[in-house]
Amino acid sequence: MSSYQKNKQEFDCADIEEYVQQYLDNVLDEEKKRLFEEHIEYCLPCDKKIEFERRFKEIIRLKAKENLPHETIDKKLKELLENLS
Amino acid sequence: MVTDKQKEFAKLIEPHLPSLYNTALRMTHNQNDAEDLVQDTLFKAYRALDQFQKDTNFRAWVFRILVNTFITAYRKAIRQPQKVSYDDMEEFFLYKRLDETVTIQEVPKEEFLENLFDDDVKEALDNLPYQFRLVVLLCDVEGFSYNEIANIIDAPLGTVMSRLYRGRKLLQRYLWNYAKKRGYITDEFLPKK
Ligand SMILES: [Zn+2]
Repeated sequence: MSSYQKNKQEFDCADIEEYVQQYLDNVLDEEKKRLFEEHIEYCLPCDKKIEFERRFKEIIRLKAKENLPHETIDKKLKELLENLS
Repeated sequence: MVTDKQKEFAKLIEPHLPSLYNTALRMTHNQNDAEDLVQDTLFKAYRALDQFQKDTNFRAWVFRILVNTFITAYRKAIRQPQKVSYDDMEEFFLYKRLDETVTIQEVPKEEFLENLFDDDVKEALDNLPYQFRLVVLLCDVEGFSYNEIANIIDAPLGTVMSRLYRGRKLLQRYLWNYAKKRGYITDEFLPKK
Protein backbone atom coordinates (compact mmCIF):
# COMPACT_ATOMS: atom_id res chain seq x y z
CA MET A 1 0.00 0.00 0.00
CA SER A 2 1.32 3.46 -0.79
CA SER A 3 2.22 5.65 2.14
CA TYR A 4 -0.17 8.49 1.35
CA GLN A 5 -2.93 6.13 2.34
CA LYS A 6 -1.56 5.47 5.77
CA ASN A 7 -4.05 7.68 7.51
CA LYS A 8 -7.04 5.91 6.10
CA GLN A 9 -9.85 5.34 8.53
CA GLU A 10 -11.22 2.13 7.09
CA PHE A 11 -9.92 -1.07 5.55
CA ASP A 12 -11.46 -2.32 2.32
CA CYS A 13 -11.38 -5.87 0.92
CA ALA A 14 -8.06 -5.20 -0.83
CA ASP A 15 -6.47 -4.22 2.49
CA ILE A 16 -7.67 -7.48 3.99
CA GLU A 17 -5.99 -9.37 1.17
CA GLU A 18 -2.80 -7.42 1.72
CA TYR A 19 -2.64 -7.93 5.48
CA VAL A 20 -4.23 -11.34 5.95
CA GLN A 21 -1.00 -13.21 6.62
CA GLN A 22 0.34 -10.63 9.04
CA TYR A 23 -3.01 -10.59 10.80
CA LEU A 24 -3.04 -14.36 11.22
CA ASP A 25 0.56 -14.32 12.46
CA ASN A 26 -0.45 -11.65 14.93
CA VAL A 27 2.19 -9.14 13.88
CA LEU A 28 0.00 -6.21 12.83
CA ASP A 29 0.29 -3.06 14.90
CA GLU A 30 -2.68 -2.14 17.09
CA GLU A 31 -4.15 0.38 14.65
CA LYS A 32 -4.05 -1.94 11.62
CA LYS A 33 -5.34 -4.82 13.69
CA ARG A 34 -8.30 -2.71 14.78
CA LEU A 35 -9.07 -1.64 11.19
CA PHE A 36 -8.70 -5.22 10.03
CA GLU A 37 -11.10 -6.58 12.62
CA GLU A 38 -13.59 -3.79 11.99
CA HIS A 39 -13.73 -4.78 8.35
CA ILE A 40 -14.22 -8.50 8.85
CA GLU A 41 -16.86 -7.74 11.46
CA TYR A 42 -19.25 -6.55 8.76
CA CYS A 43 -17.78 -8.10 5.58
CA LEU A 44 -18.90 -11.72 5.52
CA PRO A 45 -16.91 -12.80 2.41
CA CYS A 46 -13.67 -11.56 3.97
CA ASP A 47 -14.54 -13.08 7.31
CA LYS A 48 -15.05 -16.48 5.68
CA LYS A 49 -11.76 -16.22 3.83
CA ILE A 50 -9.91 -15.36 7.02
CA GLU A 51 -11.44 -18.34 8.82
CA PHE A 52 -10.35 -20.56 5.96
CA GLU A 53 -6.78 -19.25 6.05
CA ARG A 54 -6.67 -19.70 9.81
CA ARG A 55 -7.72 -23.31 9.41
CA PHE A 56 -5.20 -23.76 6.58
CA LYS A 57 -2.37 -22.78 8.91
CA GLU A 58 -3.59 -25.20 11.56
CA ILE A 59 -3.94 -28.04 9.07
CA ILE A 60 -0.37 -27.56 7.87
CA ARG A 61 0.85 -27.73 11.46
CA LEU A 62 -1.20 -30.81 12.31
CA LYS A 63 -0.58 -32.80 9.17
CA ALA A 64 3.11 -32.02 8.68
CA LYS A 65 4.13 -33.39 12.06
CA GLU A 66 5.76 -36.76 12.12
CA ASN A 67 4.52 -38.74 15.07
CA LEU A 68 7.64 -40.26 16.48
CA PRO A 69 7.07 -42.97 19.05
CA HIS A 70 8.48 -42.15 22.46
CA GLU A 71 10.67 -45.23 22.39
CA THR A 72 12.35 -44.06 19.20
CA ILE A 73 13.24 -40.74 20.78
CA ASP A 74 14.54 -42.40 23.93
CA LYS A 75 16.59 -44.85 21.91
CA LYS A 76 18.09 -42.10 19.76
CA LEU A 77 18.95 -40.02 22.75
CA LYS A 78 20.70 -42.93 24.42
CA GLU A 79 22.67 -43.71 21.24
CA LEU A 80 23.61 -40.11 20.94
CA LEU A 81 24.88 -39.82 24.49
CA GLU A 82 27.01 -42.91 24.01
CA ASN A 83 28.47 -41.42 20.85
CA LEU A 84 29.31 -38.12 22.48
CA SER A 85 31.87 -39.60 24.81
CA MET B 1 30.53 -43.26 31.23
CA VAL B 2 28.10 -40.40 30.93
CA THR B 3 29.46 -37.10 32.22
CA ASP B 4 27.53 -34.31 33.91
CA LYS B 5 27.88 -32.19 30.80
CA GLN B 6 26.31 -34.96 28.75
CA LYS B 7 23.47 -35.33 31.21
CA GLU B 8 22.85 -31.62 31.18
CA PHE B 9 22.87 -31.61 27.40
CA ALA B 10 20.51 -34.59 27.20
CA LYS B 11 18.04 -32.82 29.46
CA LEU B 12 18.20 -29.66 27.37
CA ILE B 13 17.89 -31.37 24.00
CA GLU B 14 15.32 -34.07 24.69
CA PRO B 15 12.16 -31.94 24.40
CA HIS B 16 13.33 -30.65 21.01
CA LEU B 17 14.31 -33.92 19.36
CA PRO B 18 10.93 -34.61 17.73
CA SER B 19 10.87 -31.10 16.22
CA LEU B 20 14.45 -31.28 15.05
CA TYR B 21 13.89 -34.67 13.50
CA ASN B 22 10.66 -33.58 11.86
CA THR B 23 12.27 -30.50 10.33
CA ALA B 24 15.29 -32.52 9.21
CA LEU B 25 12.99 -35.04 7.55
CA ARG B 26 11.12 -32.39 5.59
CA MET B 27 14.39 -30.74 4.55
CA THR B 28 16.29 -33.87 3.48
CA HIS B 29 13.31 -35.91 2.20
CA ASN B 30 14.45 -39.18 3.72
CA GLN B 31 14.86 -40.83 7.06
CA ASN B 32 18.54 -41.77 6.91
CA ASP B 33 19.66 -38.31 5.86
CA ALA B 34 17.39 -36.78 8.48
CA GLU B 35 18.96 -38.91 11.20
CA ASP B 36 22.45 -37.96 10.02
CA LEU B 37 21.50 -34.29 9.99
CA VAL B 38 20.09 -34.43 13.51
CA GLN B 39 23.12 -36.38 14.68
CA ASP B 40 25.54 -33.82 13.22
CA THR B 41 23.47 -31.00 14.68
CA LEU B 42 23.59 -32.51 18.13
CA PHE B 43 27.34 -33.09 18.00
CA LYS B 44 27.88 -29.48 17.04
CA ALA B 45 25.47 -28.23 19.65
CA TYR B 46 27.17 -30.33 22.31
CA ARG B 47 30.60 -29.07 21.36
CA ALA B 48 29.37 -25.47 21.33
CA LEU B 49 27.35 -25.80 24.52
CA ASP B 50 29.72 -23.51 26.43
CA GLN B 51 28.90 -20.75 23.97
CA PHE B 52 25.21 -21.07 24.61
CA GLN B 53 24.08 -18.28 26.92
CA LYS B 54 21.88 -19.60 29.67
CA ASP B 55 18.46 -17.93 29.83
CA THR B 56 18.47 -17.35 26.10
CA ASN B 57 16.40 -19.34 23.65
CA PHE B 58 17.91 -22.82 23.48
CA ARG B 59 15.33 -24.04 20.99
CA ALA B 60 16.13 -21.25 18.51
CA TRP B 61 19.85 -21.73 19.13
CA VAL B 62 19.78 -25.42 18.28
CA PHE B 63 17.56 -24.87 15.23
CA ARG B 64 20.08 -22.33 14.00
CA ILE B 65 22.73 -25.03 14.19
CA LEU B 66 20.44 -27.45 12.35
CA VAL B 67 19.88 -24.96 9.52
CA ASN B 68 23.58 -24.16 9.21
CA THR B 69 24.44 -27.84 9.19
CA PHE B 70 21.82 -28.49 6.53
CA ILE B 71 23.02 -25.67 4.30
CA THR B 72 26.66 -26.73 4.64
CA ALA B 73 25.91 -30.38 3.89
CA TYR B 74 23.58 -29.66 0.98
CA ARG B 75 25.40 -26.65 -0.41
CA LYS B 76 25.87 -28.26 -3.81
CA ALA B 77 22.33 -29.52 -4.11
CA ILE B 78 20.78 -26.20 -3.15
CA ARG B 79 23.18 -23.88 -4.93
CA GLN B 80 20.78 -23.33 -7.77
CA PRO B 81 17.48 -22.33 -6.23
CA GLN B 82 14.50 -23.72 -8.07
CA LYS B 83 12.83 -21.23 -10.32
CA VAL B 84 9.51 -20.09 -9.04
CA SER B 85 7.04 -18.15 -11.06
CA TYR B 86 5.66 -15.24 -9.12
CA ASP B 87 2.80 -14.77 -11.54
CA ASP B 88 -0.56 -15.48 -10.10
CA MET B 89 0.72 -15.56 -6.56
CA GLU B 90 -2.66 -14.43 -5.44
CA GLU B 91 -3.91 -14.47 -1.90
CA PHE B 92 -6.79 -16.81 -0.95
CA PHE B 93 -5.87 -19.04 -3.90
CA LEU B 94 -7.34 -22.24 -2.52
CA TYR B 95 -10.44 -20.57 -1.16
CA LYS B 96 -11.15 -18.96 -4.50
CA ARG B 97 -10.67 -22.21 -6.44
CA LEU B 98 -12.97 -24.05 -4.07
CA ASP B 99 -15.48 -21.25 -4.39
CA GLU B 100 -15.54 -21.73 -8.16
CA THR B 101 -16.19 -25.43 -7.79
CA VAL B 102 -19.89 -26.06 -8.10
CA THR B 103 -19.88 -29.60 -6.72
CA ILE B 104 -18.48 -28.51 -3.41
CA GLN B 105 -20.09 -25.13 -3.03
CA GLU B 106 -22.58 -26.42 -0.52
CA VAL B 107 -19.92 -28.02 1.64
CA PRO B 108 -17.87 -25.94 4.07
CA LYS B 109 -14.56 -25.22 2.38
CA GLU B 110 -12.73 -26.20 5.54
CA GLU B 111 -13.81 -29.76 4.84
CA PHE B 112 -11.45 -29.83 1.88
CA LEU B 113 -8.60 -29.11 4.29
CA GLU B 114 -9.70 -31.70 6.85
CA ASN B 115 -9.86 -34.33 4.13
CA LEU B 116 -6.30 -33.84 2.92
CA PHE B 117 -4.04 -36.71 3.85
CA ASP B 118 -0.95 -36.09 5.94
CA ASP B 119 1.07 -37.41 3.03
CA ASP B 120 -0.43 -34.83 0.67
CA VAL B 121 0.60 -32.03 2.98
CA LYS B 122 4.07 -33.50 3.49
CA GLU B 123 4.56 -34.01 -0.22
CA ALA B 124 3.44 -30.46 -0.97
CA LEU B 125 5.87 -29.15 1.62
CA ASP B 126 8.67 -31.33 0.27
CA ASN B 127 8.15 -29.87 -3.18
CA LEU B 128 8.52 -26.26 -2.09
CA PRO B 129 11.87 -24.70 -2.96
CA TYR B 130 13.98 -25.17 0.16
CA GLN B 131 14.15 -21.50 1.18
CA PHE B 132 10.37 -21.30 1.28
CA ARG B 133 9.99 -24.73 2.84
CA LEU B 134 12.36 -23.89 5.68
CA VAL B 135 10.55 -20.70 6.63
CA VAL B 136 7.08 -22.28 6.41
CA LEU B 137 8.25 -25.17 8.60
CA LEU B 138 9.81 -22.89 11.17
CA CYS B 139 6.76 -20.62 11.37
CA ASP B 140 3.71 -22.77 10.73
CA VAL B 141 4.89 -26.13 12.02
CA GLU B 142 7.38 -25.20 14.73
CA GLY B 143 5.75 -21.94 15.80
CA PHE B 144 8.81 -19.70 15.78
CA SER B 145 8.26 -15.93 15.61
CA TYR B 146 9.44 -13.83 12.64
CA ASN B 147 12.34 -12.52 14.71
CA GLU B 148 13.41 -15.96 15.82
CA ILE B 149 13.31 -17.18 12.21
CA ALA B 150 15.35 -14.20 11.03
CA ASN B 151 17.96 -15.21 13.58
CA ILE B 152 17.79 -18.93 12.78
CA ILE B 153 18.21 -18.52 9.02
CA ASP B 154 20.39 -15.43 9.33
CA ALA B 155 18.27 -13.25 7.04
CA PRO B 156 16.50 -9.90 7.39
CA LEU B 157 12.93 -9.79 8.64
CA GLY B 158 11.63 -8.70 5.23
CA THR B 159 13.14 -11.78 3.63
CA VAL B 160 11.52 -14.01 6.23
CA MET B 161 8.13 -12.44 5.56
CA SER B 162 8.30 -12.59 1.78
CA ARG B 163 9.49 -16.23 1.80
CA LEU B 164 6.83 -17.20 4.29
CA TYR B 165 3.97 -15.58 2.39
CA ARG B 166 5.13 -16.91 -0.96
CA GLY B 167 5.71 -20.34 0.54
CA ARG B 168 2.18 -20.52 1.88
CA LYS B 169 0.70 -19.40 -1.42
CA LEU B 170 2.72 -21.97 -3.33
CA LEU B 171 1.64 -24.61 -0.87
CA GLN B 172 -2.02 -23.85 -1.58
CA ARG B 173 -1.31 -24.10 -5.29
CA TYR B 174 0.38 -27.50 -4.90
CA LEU B 175 -2.40 -28.84 -2.69
CA TRP B 176 -4.99 -27.77 -5.21
CA ASN B 177 -3.10 -29.53 -7.98
CA TYR B 178 -2.81 -32.74 -5.91
CA ALA B 179 -6.49 -32.63 -5.11
CA LYS B 180 -7.29 -32.50 -8.80
CA LYS B 181 -4.75 -35.17 -9.69
CA ARG B 182 -5.96 -37.55 -6.99
CA GLY B 183 -9.59 -37.06 -7.88
CA TYR B 184 -10.67 -35.25 -4.72
CA ILE B 185 -11.92 -32.63 -7.11
CA THR B 186 -13.50 -34.43 -10.03
CA ASP B 187 -13.87 -33.27 -13.57
CA GLU B 188 -17.61 -33.19 -13.08
CA PHE B 189 -17.41 -29.79 -11.54
CA LEU B 190 -18.39 -26.85 -13.65
CA PRO B 191 -16.94 -23.44 -13.12
CA LYS B 192 -19.44 -20.89 -11.95
CA LYS B 193 -20.79 -18.64 -14.67
ZN1 LIG C 1 -14.17 -7.48 2.66
